[in-house]
Amino acid sequence: MSEHKRHFAICVDNSDYEASLILRKIYEIIPDERGAGDDLLRIVDESGEDYLYHKSHFIVVEFPAEVEHALRSAQSATP
Amino acid sequence: MRFEILDQVEGIEVIAAGTSIRDLAYLEKTYGAGRWRKLKGRAHVRLPNGNIRWVELHWYEAHGIGRKDIKIKRYLE
Repeated sequence: MSEHKRHFAICVDNSDYEASLILRKIYEIIPDERGAGDDLLRIVDESGEDYLYHKSHFIVVEFPAEVEHALRSAQSATP
Repeated sequence: MRFEILDQVEGIEVIAAGTSIRDLAYLEKTYGAGRWRKLKGRAHVRLPNGNIRWVELHWYEAHGIGRKDIKIKRYLE
């Protein structure tokens, strides 16, 4: 799988993280090889910082390149 | 949370408080109004795959509400 296709995940379980993750919201994934080895995803959450969450909180999604580009542009424009 | 904290969290520091917490409004909406602080500390945790890691944790805390959203920031070893 090419690197550019693993940048986003949809939250499907925000239990214990109700202030940090919003159900059904799309989050950006930051590559983290050590975390991935422990089934963790590094996610930029509602705090605006990146944290390691267990993968079971999310479904990793692949979007067409133009959609990913639009999502990244939208996130970088967020204050 | 999916991991278990195995020992007492050490080196606890306040990293933000009150309005300096970026997501304060959402925090109060979710858990209620309070004197919210964001803290960090270090602890050993057992992950769902059984691995034990020494990590930096971040969480929110308010009197009468307790610790919320305990998150792993990074591995420390």
